Parts: sequence; C-alpha cells; structure tokens
Amino acid sequence: MASLPSIGRPKRQTLLGYALILPSLFFFGAFYLYPVVYSLYLSVFDWDLVRPMRFIGLANYRDLLASAEFGEVLGNTFRYSLGVVVLAMGIGLVLALLLNNRTALSSTLQACIFTSYIVSWVAVSLLWIWMLDPQYGLVNYVGGFLGMPPVDWLGNHRIALWSLVGVTVWKVIGYPVVIFLAGLQNISQDYYEAADLDGAGTWQRFRYITWPLLTPTTVFLFITLTIATFQGFDIVNIMTQGGPVHATSIYVFFIYEQAFHYFRIGRASAAVIICFGLILTLTYGQHRLFRRNVHYAQVG
Amino acid sequence: MKTRTLLKCALAALVAVALATPVWASEPVTAQFWYSYGGKVRQVTEDMVKKFNASQSKYRIDGSFQGDYFQALAKIRAAITTKTAPAIFHVIGEAMPDLWQSGMLESLEPYIKATGVKPEDFVAGLSQHGYFDYYGKSVPIFAIPFNRSMPVMYYNKDMLDAKGVKVPTTWDELRAAATKLTVREGSDVKVWGYEVPIDWWFWHGLLYQAGGTLLSADGKQAGFRQKGGEALQFWVDLVNKDKIMKRPPGKDYNAWEVTNTDFINQKAAMIFTSTAFVNYLTENVKFKMGTAFMPAKQTFAGPTGGTFFVMMKDATPAQKEAGWAFIKWMAEPAQAISWSQNTGYICVSEPAIKSAEMQKFYQANPNYRVAYEQLKYAQKMPFAPALIRIQREVIQPNLEAPVIGLKTVEETMAAAEKAANDILAGK
Repeated sequence: MASLPSIGRPKRQTLLGYALILPSLFFFGAFYLYPVVYSLYLSVFDWDLVRPMRFIGLANYRDLLASAEFGEVLGNTFRYSLGVVVLAMGIGLVLALLLNNRTALSSTLQACIFTSYIVSWVAVSLLWIWMLDPQYGLVNYVGGFLGMPPVDWLGNHRIALWSLVGVTVWKVIGYPVVIFLAGLQNISQDYYEAADLDGAGTWQRFRYITWPLLTPTTVFLFITLTIATFQGFDIVNIMTQGGPVHATSIYVFFIYEQAFHYFRIGRASAAVIICFGLILTLTYGQHRLFRRNVHYAQVG
Repeated sequence: MKTRTLLKCALAALVAVALATPVWASEPVTAQFWYSYGGKVRQVTEDMVKKFNASQSKYRIDGSFQGDYFQALAKIRAAITTKTAPAIFHVIGEAMPDLWQSGMLESLEPYIKATGVKPEDFVAGLSQHGYFDYYGKSVPIFAIPFNRSMPVMYYNKDMLDAKGVKVPTTWDELRAAATKLTVREGSDVKVWGYEVPIDWWFWHGLLYQAGGTLLSADGKQAGFRQKGGEALQFWVDLVNKDKIMKRPPGKDYNAWEVTNTDFINQKAAMIFTSTAFVNYLTENVKFKMGTAFMPAKQTFAGPTGGTFFVMMKDATPAQKEAGWAFIKWMAEPAQAISWSQNTGYICVSEPAIKSAEMQKFYQANPNYRVAYEQLKYAQKMPFAPALIRIQREVIQPNLEAPVIGLKTVEETMAAAEKAANDILAGK
C-alpha cells in the first residue's frame, strides 16, 4: 500500500494513480486473489457442485495426506520437476555458451530453438503423441535403424514420466537458452581480457568468471522453472491423462481430476492450498539457499 | 476534472459489463441442448438438430458440443452452480441415479402423459426402467433413451477365414482363436489376436459373463470381488501369459480410439467395442468385417451403454416445453431409424424396429443387428447414487494396474470392493 499523507485529503495524483490501476487491480482481485481465498474456504467442505456444501473441518487435508495416491503424485511431481529443471538448465547453459557470439548463424539457431517455446502445449503434445507412438511413431522408426527395440514411450509405466520430461525439455529449452544468453552478454569483456593476460584456460574462465557472474540468472531460472513445472498440466492431460495407472499423474492434473472427474471440490481445494504452500516454501528455500552464493557483477 | 472523468469512465465500463447479459424475448421458444459426441456422431447430431429446427417453427433447439461424456458431466455440474445449465442434455446411465437423487432433474411423467408418448414403445432393454434395478423402490421416468448401445465383438473375417478360425462364442474359444490369429516376427507382434480397452464397461460385461454381479442382491453391498477378479484375470493372462491380447494405452476414450485404429489397420484381428462404431468401422475397414456376441463364460452378457435425454428442473417452463418437443421428436420412428442407421447405436423405438424399413436394413446390414439381439442378455445397473463413484473412482482407475503387473488381481479387487462398500455406506 502506498502511504497516504496523514493530514488533509489524499493528493489528486494518488487518486489518479488508483484510478489508472483499477482495471488491472480488479482483474487481479477477481481472477487471482479471490479464487485463492475461496479455495481456502472450500477446502474445509465436502461439496460435489450439486448438493449443499457440508462442513467437514480438516478432513480433506487428512484424507489427502493419508492417501497413497497423493504420495505417488507428490513423488511424480518432484521427479518431473527435477528432471525438467536439471536437464533444461544444463542443456540450456551448454547451448547458450555455444551460441554466445553475434554471428548470423547464431541468431538463426537461437530463433529455431526458441520456436518450440512459443508453440502451444496442445500442439506440442499432439505432435509428440504421434512421434512417440510405439507402432507408427517416428522415434521408434529412427530407433529401429539404430538397432533399438521398439519402446512403448507413453504406455510403459516406468518410462512414461521420463518421456514427458523429455518432451517438456524439448518444448521449454528456448527459455533457458535466451535467459542464459542475456546473462552471458551482461558479463563485461574486461574480466575475460584480464583473465587472458593472467593466462587462464577455457575451463578456468568458465569456473571463475562466467559461472559466478551467471548465478543471478541461474537462480532466476531455477525458481521460475521449478514453479512452471509444478504447474504442469496440459502435457499430462493431453498425452497420458495421468496414466498408465498413476505413473504420470502430477500435481495440477491430480487437482483437476479430483475436481472435474470425481467432483470432490473440497478435496481438490485442499490440494490447491497444499500446492500453494509447497511452492511458496520451495521458492523461499531456493532463495535462501542461493542468496549467499549469488555474485553480482559491478556495473559501471 | 480529468480524474473525475476517468473514474466516471471506469464506473460506466463496469456497469456496462454487468448489464451486458442479454435479456430479450424471442420467438420461437428456444432451448439449449448440450451434447457430447466427437467425429461422425457429432455431425449426425448436428444434422438432426438442424432438421428439427427446420421441421417446425414453434421451437428452436440450440445444440452445443461439450466434450466427451465425462467432460460434459463436469460442465453440467459447473453450470448448475453458475445457473447457466441447458434445458436438456444427455447423460450416461451410470451417472443418472446420482443426478436424480441430487434433485436437479425434472420428472418426465407429466410430459409423457400430456403428449401421449407411450413408454412401452421404447425397446424395453434400452429404456430407463429396463436399464436399472431399483431394488423394489419406485422411481418415475426422468430419462428417455437417446443413443443407446452395447459392446459387441468385431472381427476381421478375412483373417479368421485365412486361418480357418471359427467365430468364438466362449472365453476358451476366444483364447484359442486369439492364439491362432496372433502373428509374431521375432519378439515383435505384427497382429494381435485380441484387443479391448481395459475399461469399466467391458470389465462389467465380463463380470456378468462369469456369473457375477456388481452389488449384492439387495443392492447394499459390493459383490464383485471374486467374479470381477476372474474377469480381470482373464485379461491379465491373455496379455502377460499368452501374449495374444494388446492392452491399448491411454485413459478413457483414448484407449478406445487406439483399439479402433489397430482394428482398421489390421493390427488386431478381434476387438470388443461399442456397437456405436459399426457405421464408422464399416466405412473405414478395407476387409470383410463381422460382428458377434461377446463370448460367454457361464452365460452371454453385456452392459448397455450410451446415454439418455434428461431435463433440468431449473429451466423455465417454455424451455422445458421446447426441450421436450425435441426429445419426443427424436424418439419418433423416422428419427430413431435415421439416427441408428447413420451411427450404429441401437434403434430405441420398438415400432421403428418392427418397420419394414428397419427390417430390410438389418437384412442388408446384419452387423447392425447383433447388438439388438444381444440385448436379451443385457444386465441391469443398480439404481444407486454410488454407482458413478464406483465406476469412476473405484473400478476404472484401478483395472490397469494388474494388467501392467503393478499389483495382483486379488489385491486390486479386495481394495476395490472395500472402497465400493465405503462409498455405498456414505463414507
């Protein structure tokens, strides 16, 4: 809240400011704040959307935490998130380092890599359903030439989640590449020139200059990618619907399933609140963890 | 001044949005109808709605597509909360006891009486009273059969003939036939003998074929553990031991699509799927296709499926009148015949089935008739509000685990029976 002058009428300017942000404040409140608060309210009721709501206290939370399926879903979500974050950042960093020059080829490649990030999840998911089809898909077809036995990418319960990780990395890779590139281009050439004078090799340049000065970017990517993967939904809903059995059921899909397959609105809302707390804790934890190790370059 | 003008503008905009909900009186009387078909059937539905609107000027039906049955069910519930539900929609039988008990549906008895519709004209096994076992309770008619179906067995006649295999009529024969029809190349299977979605509907059929029932005789307890286990074990063995059945991947209707595609592409010689696909499969296969009863264990059996028309209690009297006019029109012989012939759903009107037109059609297209004949072995569903939860939460998501090998059949069925009993007990 902006602090209002304690004496007299609020300044005209202040009022104008509020008037100007009113539309976005309205939408923020109506479509973001209100649903969150309402979810908290719903989470202590038993409600199927049709019959009257019944207050049941914390039973929804208890049921969730006691259910084996919820445990599986949490495990799947962490695996999916960790897989995507590590691979996307690792591959993204390597690609960014390779593309960190201002040639025409580099720009073209950057554009190519970024296209998949712009395409909608639905299109990407449908595309990969075909690519990964065990009988007619391109992946197994190419694999066959290399002597690989056919793999049931989405139907095998041990592989399906990792197939989704792979597709997600393919889809989002343009994002870490672009952000890393921006980070790399912010590092002053002076450091490298000084290092060259001192006779530093490629690895030393990376280890003692690039990596430390890239940490703000790394932390930013780590947090945003973690949040994004915790919010993953479309890819599961379209490619596997959480199956086989619960092998690819990740958090938001589980919420959706509880709400719109089983009409357990209270339980779904409780899961929403737990998810909210989880992401908050994770983000805060990551922030704390990295705060001490982030190096900001002196600009100027 | 500027500030005030801006504030006024903002306020005016808000008021405009609030008032934007249109309120107008329109002639003819219009009713919303939500439907949930994809592909070919959607086209047929849209054509029939158009035909209805063109056939008279008093009523107008606004049809809109709402995703598959389960997606539509979710939207209906959400729409009730926001008071934007349609006057009529169609719904799977398993969801009906729950919806009826919730009090959102209108009894159709007064409409039936007022417009002279004869309930006995509906094919008995397909009507609401034929579908449900009420356990002695009395329930009025609140649902009119619309697209009604049964699962049947489809087979690739060319493949069976080439191997000298007779159409199987028992589980043992099915197993033997599938063994002969499976074609292997090394460890790769080129043709699967048999394929069926690991789905509640087909499992339910096998449960009754094995002589079981879903609930106990009084409808108060789950009673499927042993025979339901036998049914599931049959699939587990065919998939894992004999390796002659393909488990189509995907949940709900995705697995059904895979099954159809494999059959069309001659990757599967025999499949179970709905009679609703007769028209679609006939048009798309490039071989001689036959349909037959699903094989028997102790008896032939199968659930009926598809949907019924229902009406929302909250709709206005005018909307209800328009909605009923459409429902009634759809059930008339001419429409019932055209609907059935263009899709493969079982014709719901007894006079229509007896008509020379339909008899001639059945003679020329015997594949369409099998489901109608199999109706005499159709099993009833319990009229229990718990039914939809038993289907969606207890059976459907857990059938796959033993087939994949994650759990044993015994574990799965014991857990399912316990969960079903908890739901029946209102826990």
